[in-house]
Amino acid sequence: MGRPVTDVGARLRRVLAMIPWLLESGGSTVVTVAERFGVSEDEVVRDLNLVMCCGLPPYGGGDLITVVLDEDGTIEAWPGPFFTRPMQLTPPEGFAVLAAGRALLAVPGSKPAGSLASALGKLEAALGASGSLAIDFDAPPLLADVRAAVDAHERVRVAYYSAWRDELWERVVEPLVVHSRDGRWYVETRDATTGAERRLRVDRIRSLEHTGERFTPPDDVAAPDHVFSPGADATEVTLVLPASAQWVVETYDTLDVEPLDGGRLRVRLLVAGDRWLERLLLKAGPEARVEAPPEITGTAASAAERVLLRYR
Amino acid sequence: MPSEDRFERVTNLVTYLLNREHGATLNEIVEELPGWPSGSEARRRAFERDKRVLRDEGIPLVEEGGRYRIPANQYYLPDLDLTPDEQVALRLAVAAVPLGGESADLALHKLLLGGGGAGDWQGSASVVAALDEQPLLPVLHAAVRRRQVVEFRYREGGIRRVEPSLLFFRDGNWYLTGHDQGRGGALRSFRVDRIVGGAGDIVVSAPEAFERRPTSPGDVMPREPWLIGGEERDTAVIDIDAVLAAKAVVDVGGRGSVEHRPDGSVRITMDVTNRAAFRSWVLGMLDHAVVVSPDDLRAELVAWLASLTVAREDDRTTPGSDRAMPA
Repeated sequence: MGRPVTDVGARLRRVLAMIPWLLESGGSTVVTVAERFGVSEDEVVRDLNLVMCCGLPPYGGGDLITVVLDEDGTIEAWPGPFFTRPMQLTPPEGFAVLAAGRALLAVPGSKPAGSLASALGKLEAALGASGSLAIDFDAPPLLADVRAAVDAHERVRVAYYSAWRDELWERVVEPLVVHSRDGRWYVETRDATTGAERRLRVDRIRSLEHTGERFTPPDDVAAPDHVFSPGADATEVTLVLPASAQWVVETYDTLDVEPLDGGRLRVRLLVAGDRWLERLLLKAGPEARVEAPPEITGTAASAAERVLLRYR
Repeated sequence: MPSEDRFERVTNLVTYLLNREHGATLNEIVEELPGWPSGSEARRRAFERDKRVLRDEGIPLVEEGGRYRIPANQYYLPDLDLTPDEQVALRLAVAAVPLGGESADLALHKLLLGGGGAGDWQGSASVVAALDEQPLLPVLHAAVRRRQVVEFRYREGGIRRVEPSLLFFRDGNWYLTGHDQGRGGALRSFRVDRIVGGAGDIVVSAPEAFERRPTSPGDVMPREPWLIGGEERDTAVIDIDAVLAAKAVVDVGGRGSVEHRPDGSVRITMDVTNRAAFRSWVLGMLDHAVVVSPDDLRAELVAWLASLTVAREDDRTTPGSDRAMPA
């Protein structure tokens, strides 16, 4: 078989959503449906073939939906008696919308009494879910300022603590987009002088000064799928961690995780700064070891000695 | 059996049961829908597998007196009667806060078609927050709102029976909060990613099994990790260099007292009920933070650091010892 094992559940969900979507729009094209639902055109054709023959007993066809798929990829659709109800969310979809809405509302600077809040109130009432879901964002104090600068396309002077290198720097940057990942807030920036792009953690911005200067943002601003994008100078490191350091795997991107005896783990990851690795090793404790590369196996010990100096 | 046939059978099952107000028996289902294996035992097993797919997808399948049905009023939410502005606001939210799952994508497709003006729903999103997708969330959320007791295997402590009252997201993790029946009804929070198995492995009771008392994340789990845990309360004093002073003050929140010094450094006095979490927080600041008191907490940290310097000696004497161990 050329295809991986089909996930019946995921496909079911897609087709059950695709049918009312096609009906609502009266038709579409294979290309559009593939884009909308994030699947290949072949998969769309396969799904449509199924939709065309699925219906209610006694299989007259057209009970559910009539689909005509032209050779040029045009899709026409008419409703059968079944899917004539208006587009309505299912509870799992309702949950997804509620979570997204609550999250957006929890971001400092959002209007607590706007359309979003009233829409979520209606959704919660329909779900019978009042008070059932909370998004607890820890908002750094400067987040509202950063958001305002992003929205206004305004250059800002920031003093920033770089934890990778344990140093403080100051620059004028153009803030492009704010996003949150794993409970941390980031802002994508472009250096006003060099054009270099940097991702800053908002809670590490020590100070922010509005300059009043505007900039033109690039057209293709988007939050990244992944926050960890190590530079070319990142080092691949192999660690052996005790079972108590499972959090490392849960918290950071890893290249590879190999279970060892006694719950220990051998983990390969990319490290873009010495200080970052020092922190990880000091927290993980004496049972954690750097296995490779050999020249940094003493990282934990030298960091521990440096911290110990403060206690003498 | 080929997955294409199975998929067709499951799709048919959903549309069939959704349309039969009074449901159908297994015999009726097998008779009217194609794609079943021959032999009553094989059919029963195939039906059990299909039921599991529906459960995993959060499609409500109700059995009463040997008849199965999918109640349309549970499968769909009632019409939300949104104003155009509200419709746009929800679109924006789903676009700006990707949950990563298909349910969110599908919801967005529906919202996009729901009227409310075109609006530039994608353009104005200057904030994008990602909430990690967890496949268990819809079924757990359903249990919270329908007040169903849930039974699941947890990575720590085995089987738990919980009266769930809240689902919440914090610092990259989803938590289920509820009264743990096996722990004398104590209010506990469970990391959703540490629940073992899929949605079909979670056993839910009949609805309305308990009273849901309102709770908030702050009530059940302090934000500060060093206050999570039942250890004896210590009052710690810690000095932090100027470079990290502002961040440390934010970390401690309103729960500590802060003394600002002329050089920009701070001395923070704070409560600690979880020493391991406190140690992690302090070590995260490397040599920019020093525990001043109490003596035993300071001594503990020094001993931890000293053991890290000893570990290096071991490395030198037994290089690669781990590699040599049998697999």
